[in-house]
Amino acid sequence: MAVTSAPPPATSGLPPGVSGRPLVGRHDVFRRQLARLGWGFSAPALIFIALVTVFPIVYSVIISFRHVLLYSTGFHMSGFTLNNYAKIIHYGPWRYAVAFTVGYTVVTVLVELVLGMGIALVLERLSRGRGIMMALLLLPWSLITVISARLWQYLYDPSVGAASKLVQLFGAHNPVILGHNASAIIALMVADIWKTTPFVAIILLAGLVMLPQDVYEAAEVDGASEWATFFRITLPMLAPTIGLAILFRVLQAFGLFDLPNVLTGGGPGHATTSLAILGYQAMFEFNQAWGPGAAIATSTALLVVLGCLCFYRVFKAQAAREVG
Amino acid sequence: MASTGNLPVRSVWRRRGFHTAAAAAAIATSVALAGCGSSSNNNNSSTNTTASGGLGGGGGSGTTTSTTLGKTGGGTAKGTATSGSIKFWASPITTSSPDPRKVLITAFEKAYPHIKVTLESAPSDTDTNRSVLSSQIGGGGGPDVYMGDVIWPAQFGSQKFAVPLSKYLPNSYFNTFAPGLIAGATYNGQVYGAPFFEDQGFLYYRKDILKADHLQVPKTWEQLVSESKQIQAKKQTKYGYVFQAADYEGATCNFMEFLTDAGGKVLNSSANKSELSANNAAVKALTFMHSLVSSGVSPSGESTYQEANAMNAFDAGDAAFLRNWDYAYSTSQASGSKVIGKVGVAPLPTFKGQSYPGYSNIGGWNLYVNPNSKNVAADITFVKWMTGTKAQNILATQFSEIPTNQSVRTESKVVKSNAVLAIVPKTRLVARPAQTPKYAAVSQAIYQNVSAAVGGSKSPSAAISAANSSINSTLSGGGL
Amino acid sequence: MMRNRRRTGVRRYLNVMNVAVFLTVLFVLVPLYFMVVSSFKNPNTIGQSLQLWPAQWTVKNYTYVWTASHFGRNILNSLIVSVCSTILVLALGSMAGYALGRLPMRGKLPILMTLLMISVFPVIGVIAPLYVVLRTIGWLNSYQALILPYTAFNLPFAIWILRNYFLGIPREMEETGRIDGASPMRTLVQIIMPQAAPGLFTAAVFCFTACWTEYLMALSFDSNTNMHTIPVAIGSALSTIYTVPYGPYFAASCMAAVPIGILVLVFRKSVVSGLTSGAVKG
Repeated sequence: MAVTSAPPPATSGLPPGVSGRPLVGRHDVFRRQLARLGWGFSAPALIFIALVTVFPIVYSVIISFRHVLLYSTGFHMSGFTLNNYAKIIHYGPWRYAVAFTVGYTVVTVLVELVLGMGIALVLERLSRGRGIMMALLLLPWSLITVISARLWQYLYDPSVGAASKLVQLFGAHNPVILGHNASAIIALMVADIWKTTPFVAIILLAGLVMLPQDVYEAAEVDGASEWATFFRITLPMLAPTIGLAILFRVLQAFGLFDLPNVLTGGGPGHATTSLAILGYQAMFEFNQAWGPGAAIATSTALLVVLGCLCFYRVFKAQAAREVG
Repeated sequence: MASTGNLPVRSVWRRRGFHTAAAAAAIATSVALAGCGSSSNNNNSSTNTTASGGLGGGGGSGTTTSTTLGKTGGGTAKGTATSGSIKFWASPITTSSPDPRKVLITAFEKAYPHIKVTLESAPSDTDTNRSVLSSQIGGGGGPDVYMGDVIWPAQFGSQKFAVPLSKYLPNSYFNTFAPGLIAGATYNGQVYGAPFFEDQGFLYYRKDILKADHLQVPKTWEQLVSESKQIQAKKQTKYGYVFQAADYEGATCNFMEFLTDAGGKVLNSSANKSELSANNAAVKALTFMHSLVSSGVSPSGESTYQEANAMNAFDAGDAAFLRNWDYAYSTSQASGSKVIGKVGVAPLPTFKGQSYPGYSNIGGWNLYVNPNSKNVAADITFVKWMTGTKAQNILATQFSEIPTNQSVRTESKVVKSNAVLAIVPKTRLVARPAQTPKYAAVSQAIYQNVSAAVGGSKSPSAAISAANSSINSTLSGGGL
Repeated sequence: MMRNRRRTGVRRYLNVMNVAVFLTVLFVLVPLYFMVVSSFKNPNTIGQSLQLWPAQWTVKNYTYVWTASHFGRNILNSLIVSVCSTILVLALGSMAGYALGRLPMRGKLPILMTLLMISVFPVIGVIAPLYVVLRTIGWLNSYQALILPYTAFNLPFAIWILRNYFLGIPREMEETGRIDGASPMRTLVQIIMPQAAPGLFTAAVFCFTACWTEYLMALSFDSNTNMHTIPVAIGSALSTIYTVPYGPYFAASCMAAVPIGILVLVFRKSVVSGLTSGAVKG
């Protein structure tokens, strides 16, 4: 049994020297069979998704390009226009919301990644009590977002909140955490990090647990230090999982709605008005602004997709893993 | 080692073409459906036209000739239907049992045994409520009758989310309501909502402390401030006055009271221009609100205070004066409150030199009928009954809500039934500037700037001029 | 942990990372503590002062939630919707995740990117059109009105992460299956999925939680009071417009967290071990 001291290449699980290809002649037929099978396996899921999601999403996108008025008789749309997009681009709070949402996402995802990685590493080493710890850590994630927001509203309350009292201990006088721009944004981030770090931790933990153990045994035999092991073995092997966690965390962070809605109402002013809150206001509060609301929704999706395309190389590598 | 496939290039493109074709088909179908979408939701309501039978326990005499109304195909939806089923959408009114919604429905069904009413419990938050209703009604569905905020008539009327009741009901019906309420429910000459129960701002005070210090119930804001300072100096309470100035609709309500006391208004009579900067009243009002916090009479957290925060502070005995809605009285007397038996109610004060009492902002709820409803006749019957004397009496005496029916409001039994209802005849009312469909944006301009000024991040004059230009921009088509 | 083995006692655990994680765990637990403890405080005084623990313990909040909104019925509705969606997502998602990971299909990248774009679209933009469709079919106020959208909107994420975890399983596992003559479906079910148990567990927990806590769609599509799920009931039955009843909110939340805790505890063994060594290398 060969024992290697280098991490296996990321694109194959085969031991070196073994090719995965059977006899050449039957290979093409076999591959075509497998390809058809692939479509067969994925068709149910894809059809399901298409049936339910394609119409609403395309409808929403179309609305964003037309003059639309909403009455009890439904959406009355006419013409083709870029006016909805022009309106939101010229709207100060929208530009702010873009900057705010992007910045918010970057900060919270980074912090959650670091914390989640630490939690996952420690949990992985626990042999007993791992289940209990996981259940406990998943509790914040399992709360209804509105209730989690109410919990933090309670903690941040200027008169009876534990967080306010804590901040007072550090010298602040009569702190009104949610009443000032900077502290409100930080408060939002803390509440969000609290709730979603478990999400990242569990994804990373499952990835960690599924890593092959033989490489670690070899590293130990070779006398590698802990940090070296982590940075040169664990991290590269875990990279796809980390990328996945980042990807979906970013998607969720762009939908930031319940926390600002409950804690600050988008305030002070529009300091915590995220893109989702602005879209909500456009659709349901402002008068007949459904067009701009749909434009906000569509442009939000576009922004995230553009962001993903920036990291296209990473995703190409991800998706190209085992393609073929 | 991992191969990317040996298939010849042309079959790759054939596959890709297939994907593109499938995607295009899906999108084309959606586009076609979306194009048809607007006309396929035409849910014209057909009315049950059983015009016989009595009127039940309602007000109004129903002697008008029914008007045919184009799309609905006519019909006698004047409130005399005797059968049908109604989905009634209402958020919780109180949190103690019995549930007033269920009590009223039971009583209604007794009066109209062939009309079945199903209660759908709506979200407590009024904005969430509005968003769900918009999705449902705009989607061609929704409940039959819904209880909604008093600031919705213009917005909902312009979107045809509510039936114009004035097309079905006579003027005599609308005259049964307290003055001012119908004006608030009118848009473009039509009345869209039937006032169900009303609410307004009151001044709650610690009568034990005022008595101990030989102080009078303040009639001016200046007097309130000086009394507060005395009380705080004696350490009888932590704060003098608590109100609502968070970044939400309640700040607009509070501001309206101070603004009108100072002699200002928000919109001109045609509701197309802001009057906030027309005189000094708005700046005076906002400066006063800010000074409450900066002088320590009100807590520094005021810029995040909603009703619950102010209520908790008062119930804990931390404040001598409270501005809140009518529910505050029963809450302050409920178990757990530290001020049971110590609370008095009065109309709000005004500024020195103005005539007492100060203005109270109107809140409360209207009943609206969904145009998508399939039995508008039964709906209107329900609405008439709920605003009639029997239902209004139940609301007032059993549940301490302020009735909208004028005769019930002035009935001595009702007036004596609780401390708040006794004050109602003495107050002066001011409505929020909700006669424009763009009210939500107008209100946002007001409350964001008011809250900022109270919190100290904007000077009152900067806040008012920002609000002024924001409102003008909205009303002239700017913004979203 | 080689270096640490030379220390003894508590100092064995005292390195930077363990301390940092300990602090993080504390950070997670303290708000939870407040939530649980506050659910036993007197609801009328909870907002009047900071109480580190209840002055008098009471279960009033729990009984209030239970009666104010037929909470039993809400739990049942939430359970039906969440369990059905999760099962559907796991079944469809495993097959698709396996296919998009291991089977030689063309066009994987476009499919994966499209799935991503579907996940990205904000939910509020989607609710009104979905409402129209559901109303037209006549499926409002039903379980399928929620199960179908929940499944469809959770599938992209499940497919992505299941694919990721399936890819982490060495090829020789499948080769063994193929050599032994098993069909691909059997390979998937009997060989791959047990090895990917941690990934399945992750996908299941996330999907269940997402369905359990979803608010907007449940509110818009299933607004009949007897079809309310837990989040809708909490928003529509516990408070009036002016009250913020922290006590009942926290009590409802504690009760709602129990099934997820049970789910994690029951299936936690699946995250304990991943690959069993020796089966392949022999």
